[in-house]
Amino acid sequence: MDQKRLLAAIALSVGILLIFDVWNRTMNPAPVAPPPVAHEQTSGSPVPAPVVPAAPGAEVSAAPAAPATAPAQTVAVANGRVEGRISARGLQLDQLVLRDYREHTRPNSPLVRLLAPRGLPEGYFAQWGWTAADGRTPVPGNDTDWTVTGGPLSAASPVTFTWDNGVGQVFEAVVSLDDNYMFGVRQRVINRGDQAVTLLPWARIRRERTPQTAGFFILHEGFIAVQDGRLNEVTYNDGKSNAATARGTAYEGEASAGWAGLSDKYWLTALTRAEDGQRLRSAFRHVPEGNVDRWQVDVAPPTAATVPAGGEAAFATRLFAGAKEVHLLDRYRDRLGVQDFDKAIDFGWFYFITKPFFYALDWLGRTFGNFGVAILVFTFSLKLFFFPLANKAYKSMSKMRLLAPKMTEIRERYKEDPAKMQAEMMALYKTEKINPASGCLPILIQIPVFFALYKVLFVAIEMRHAPFFGWIQDLSAPDPTNLFNLFGLLPYDPPAFFHLPAWALIMGVTMWLQQKLNPQPPDPIQAKIFQWMPVIFTFMLASFPAGLIIYWAWNNLLSIAQQGYIMRLDQKRQQASLTPAQGGAAPK
Amino acid sequence: MSPGALALKGAVLAYQWTVRPVIGCNCRFLPSCSDYALEAIAKHGALHGSVLSTRRILRCNPWHPGGLDPVPPARD
Repeated sequence: MDQKRLLAAIALSVGILLIFDVWNRTMNPAPVAPPPVAHEQTSGSPVPAPVVPAAPGAEVSAAPAAPATAPAQTVAVANGRVEGRISARGLQLDQLVLRDYREHTRPNSPLVRLLAPRGLPEGYFAQWGWTAADGRTPVPGNDTDWTVTGGPLSAASPVTFTWDNGVGQVFEAVVSLDDNYMFGVRQRVINRGDQAVTLLPWARIRRERTPQTAGFFILHEGFIAVQDGRLNEVTYNDGKSNAATARGTAYEGEASAGWAGLSDKYWLTALTRAEDGQRLRSAFRHVPEGNVDRWQVDVAPPTAATVPAGGEAAFATRLFAGAKEVHLLDRYRDRLGVQDFDKAIDFGWFYFITKPFFYALDWLGRTFGNFGVAILVFTFSLKLFFFPLANKAYKSMSKMRLLAPKMTEIRERYKEDPAKMQAEMMALYKTEKINPASGCLPILIQIPVFFALYKVLFVAIEMRHAPFFGWIQDLSAPDPTNLFNLFGLLPYDPPAFFHLPAWALIMGVTMWLQQKLNPQPPDPIQAKIFQWMPVIFTFMLASFPAGLIIYWAWNNLLSIAQQGYIMRLDQKRQQASLTPAQGGAAPK
Repeated sequence: MSPGALALKGAVLAYQWTVRPVIGCNCRFLPSCSDYALEAIAKHGALHGSVLSTRRILRCNPWHPGGLDPVPPARD
């Protein structure tokens, strides 16, 4: 009895956790979209001046109130898919807009802005520079104005930045861009002085605040790196606690192949080597400034280069900044040798299932012209694939019906003793050679498969802003309808917590129907939980992406249809075998 | 119980109280596979208990008649 209470307590706690999770998610509404690009120059610098050594870059935001500094020269960046700028002051790529993606589903919604200048709260930029390992050579800093040769930067024309430190060293950076989201930067220092200098080249990505994350534990957002074939992921939260005990460094690694960057649900910035064999040291750093968290990913060679008088040293890296499109990442992996670059998409533990699923869904989506239809078709094929397993299990269904009187008798006799009743039932199954359950193994095999599909739907950028029939405009967003205002009939906007969309209700009803056909758990308390599951799930999934709820509802419907079909098939079979037998002339 | 056995027991209990209510109870045996696992781990320890449970789950398929299948008694 005590154990029962303990278990009930556990179940209750799990329930509370689930409800808390839903509450938490509905109380933190989706991130507010950053202002459209055109407004960016009007915002000042609301954050306190940075205190790290690399400070003065704050002026780059060029607030009109600070006329003391001349505006920095900028180089426009455009290749058809991205638009942005590189600031010649400090050599920062600090503006990048993705032309193929919009913030919302509305036609005139602003384009997605990935990178933004340092002075803004949503500042997010890439920068290339040098550190004087000898402690005396002047190196370019955040306020250095580089000299620009060429421009604007496009897929056809690279741009060269140069800076002379006045004591013999000339720094150079050649920036190029491909047709998609990959930048190439070749840094070079030419020593015209009469002494050797020791310099460390580096490239870094800076993010001036912690972004609003989707907050689902099946999706990684934060620092991500592949280092010699090993995937490393550090969330912003873990990064903060790691950094607190390691002087600001949340992760550090050295490898001869791989990449490192910051990953959002759909977007990525990542640094990687441009030349084979170049070993790279990568780090993920947390820099608290006041109560704002700054994040940095940087890469550098393991050791500083000593450049003799008259010599030169070079360091070539690539920067990816754009949308995580699976075919594009595959292409960069194969053509540019960016190791395991497709793992930037969080395919998870079941990579070997999720990746092929992804290709299949993507292909179906393009074939049918609608990603929602692709989900329906793909789920249907999966069910078809597992049909033999289910069919075999339900073959004994109609035989069961013949035994119904015997089973009722057992149930009546052992009403007081469920354990004994079950044992008697099992004995009956054995003597009659039937069994109503399909078994644990088929279920165990199917769980990872259906979880994989769920995961793919969750991470696929193809689902973003993809419409479906009726009122669904975006499969990756929650269903906007709500029971609590009668699906829009009442002029009333219920609080976020009271969100019960139509598709969630459909899901709940199908789940309830499907459960009716499933055997119940033997334990009475568990059976109670079992009965409440459809209700719990309806509320729990209400704020999930609509595509997932549609998948779930469709999956339930297919399960019900499958069971009905098999039972009818079985009935026919039974009748066919009975009819000749009654005539007494059944052929052997 | 060893820490390993305790962890396994926790995992099976978690399954029974969270996953099983969702997917339903589909076992062809008595005791059910999860109850069998709990008993096997308690009687035979984490390692041997896991082996027994794995073999039981592999048996629990539509081609096996199922029925009564208690955990074998401990050897000593």
